[in-house]
Amino acid sequence: MRRHVPAALLLSSALLFGTLASFQATASKADSGSVVREAPREWWSPGDERLIPEFVTYKNEWGELGLYLEGEPVQTKGHAFFEPLGPNGRACVSCHQPSDGMSLSVTSIQQRWRDTGGKDPIFAKFDGANCPTLPAGDPASHSLLLTRGLFRISLPWPPKAPDGKSIDPEFTIEVVRDPTGCNTDAKYGLTSANPMISVYRRPRPVANTKYTTHQRFGVSPFIGKNGLPTARDPETGKPVSMNLMADARHPTLKMQARDAAATHLEFAGRLTDGQIAEIEDFERRIYTAQVRLIQAGSLVEPDGPPAFGPRNLAKGEAGVLGNNTTRYVFPMGDAWKEAKPGETAEQRAKRQAIRRGHDIFFFRTFWIKDSMHLNTVGLGNPTKRTCATCHGMHMTGMDSSNGWMDIGTTNLPWAKEVPLNPWNKQTPDLPLFKITCKPAVLPHPYLGRVFYTQDPGRALSSGKCNDVGTIVMQQFRGLASRAPYFSNGSAANIRELVDFYDRRYNIQFTEQERLDLETFLASL
Amino acid sequence: MRRGSMMGGIALATLLAHSTAIAQERNLAFISCPIVRDTKTVPCWLAEYGGETYYLGIQTDVSADFYPPSLGHQVLVEGEKTDDARICGGIPLKNVVVSVMPERADSCQTLLMAEERYNLPFEPPRPPGPSTGRLAFAYPQPDKPQPPYQPKSFTLHYDFDATVGFKHPRFLILVMDYAQLTGAKSISIVGHRGRTALSDGGMLVERDGLAEIRAKEVSELLRGAGLTAPNYDVSWVDEPETGDSSNRRVTITVKP
Repeated sequence: MRRHVPAALLLSSALLFGTLASFQATASKADSGSVVREAPREWWSPGDERLIPEFVTYKNEWGELGLYLEGEPVQTKGHAFFEPLGPNGRACVSCHQPSDGMSLSVTSIQQRWRDTGGKDPIFAKFDGANCPTLPAGDPASHSLLLTRGLFRISLPWPPKAPDGKSIDPEFTIEVVRDPTGCNTDAKYGLTSANPMISVYRRPRPVANTKYTTHQRFGVSPFIGKNGLPTARDPETGKPVSMNLMADARHPTLKMQARDAAATHLEFAGRLTDGQIAEIEDFERRIYTAQVRLIQAGSLVEPDGPPAFGPRNLAKGEAGVLGNNTTRYVFPMGDAWKEAKPGETAEQRAKRQAIRRGHDIFFFRTFWIKDSMHLNTVGLGNPTKRTCATCHGMHMTGMDSSNGWMDIGTTNLPWAKEVPLNPWNKQTPDLPLFKITCKPAVLPHPYLGRVFYTQDPGRALSSGKCNDVGTIVMQQFRGLASRAPYFSNGSAANIRELVDFYDRRYNIQFTEQERLDLETFLASL
Repeated sequence: MRRGSMMGGIALATLLAHSTAIAQERNLAFISCPIVRDTKTVPCWLAEYGGETYYLGIQTDVSADFYPPSLGHQVLVEGEKTDDARICGGIPLKNVVVSVMPERADSCQTLLMAEERYNLPFEPPRPPGPSTGRLAFAYPQPDKPQPPYQPKSFTLHYDFDATVGFKHPRFLILVMDYAQLTGAKSISIVGHRGRTALSDGGMLVERDGLAEIRAKEVSELLRGAGLTAPNYDVSWVDEPETGDSSNRRVTITVKP
């Protein structure tokens, strides 16, 4: 029987085509900026035979992204990262596209739908559809991927510890809204024989990994935010930073690769040690960052700011905390303080905007309030700090370790929700869960004992009430190539990302501050 | 007994009683809404009790001894009133310990804006923005133990009604280090819970069963962090001890 397609999906489908049209317009507008060429983004299909050179660039809406491969070039033919390993035809590269900063932009997803009529392996029903039960080939079945760039992540409930044992969660979870149908599905849902919870998340960039996997500042036997034992690398026995995935459920590149092969690639076997080594080797050598910004020109001139470009990332020191004396999070040095010979007025103005944006990121204080795992770690609630307080890791702007926090991207009341009123025809597209912290544990300090979330985040692995809605913060590099942002794709562009923080923390940015911060972030 | 001596004894006793009374008067334990006041640099934290305003401390960073409380919650304040000059408009408390009370208190939302008259009389050790290259405070580094190794005890202190949190890793690491260095054969863990006599005559008791929860949690954390070789002797004292914040504790004894 054909499954009933909710009105939300039909509407999403209609919106999708509207979005496609507006994207075309955006691209044309960007082209008029003088740097971006007509060439479309380049799609890397699994099994393509190519040579990844030491350095390559790709155009994006804001300018140009660079990829730097440290060491020997990589031949993709036969390489485990680039070859389709499972039956659905996907490879790692399917969702970690070089021209998208080793992530996957919704622009590329939409283009791929148009180019293949929805037949590309990224639209595989297992996780490229809102639910595997939905009819293939219908854009409505893939609306979350097509409009927000979200893949379905299906996790067991109750959570499982690394040794496979069930964790007794501190909270109960109830599905109160299920627009995709998956969380109440008889086969895939929470009450199925194999209870699972489906959440929808963006693929993270697989690049600059020496920063996401460092074992330095903040990495200790105990998690700095809650005192619990830190996950360990099963090979070395050493604690890890737990900054790799949105929910920190797999602590190493190898473990993530095995999990991704089993789920996203639907690979039934076990990757060989050689394949794993090949994937990890590539992931440890590839760096990506913006190298050119429209109007500002090159970001990577020899005397340019040491924060910018993938080569500087490769040279940078991993696993250290930024400060304002010796090691800024994104070091600008003295570059662009004074006008350079040959610099146009337009170029000068844009570079000044980048510098101002940096200073806002670093020094513009505001009151950070009710954010789990930030306001609970000794700074007070509220705390008067800056963007760089949380985004403090040198060169990436990540947390230095154990970087899961709840800033309200998935937990209500802060998460982006469709306004409910008689005049609004739009319906919600993400699931909503009701969380009830059990009587034996203390209530969530900011949300109480009962609250709602679109994605419980880290709590789907830890079972902790205070982890509900916490998401490991991402690196800030290559942002211009991989919209939308946040784990649930709720910020369609960098401006919406800035606006989220402004709204969440009542920062009261001026229009000029927004523009400068947006420009700075796009330069990373 | 000679009269003079007796009189002296009475005087001494009176003096002691008087001193005790003064000390009791100066020792405060109260629950109220915390107040945060902005300044030109970092915010300072205050609390009101008995018609008076007390200064608790300032925002610094995770290396500080004082961790500011939370709006949206009441705070249990334990400390000793001083005669020091007011800071941020409040009387400073010595040896202040603050506990964020677990339940929400939505009426506790007072955020005072900066006023010229309430500047901090000192340079805060950590500015509101990025650090100046180090944490605000340095933890004292314990001397490296030398053989022959002896049993050594460590104490974890807790906020009211709380279990392990962000404050504890640096102490748990000391336990781990000593146990690993000495090849510990056994680890004894004893959990406690406290009862605080409030200044208004009330009594605040930590929840039932918390001593057991704390003791078991610590053993699980140490095992979970890889300290599986020693034998664990886990016990707890369920009867709450009356006194100050030091009763909210777990003691860990590492025996080489």
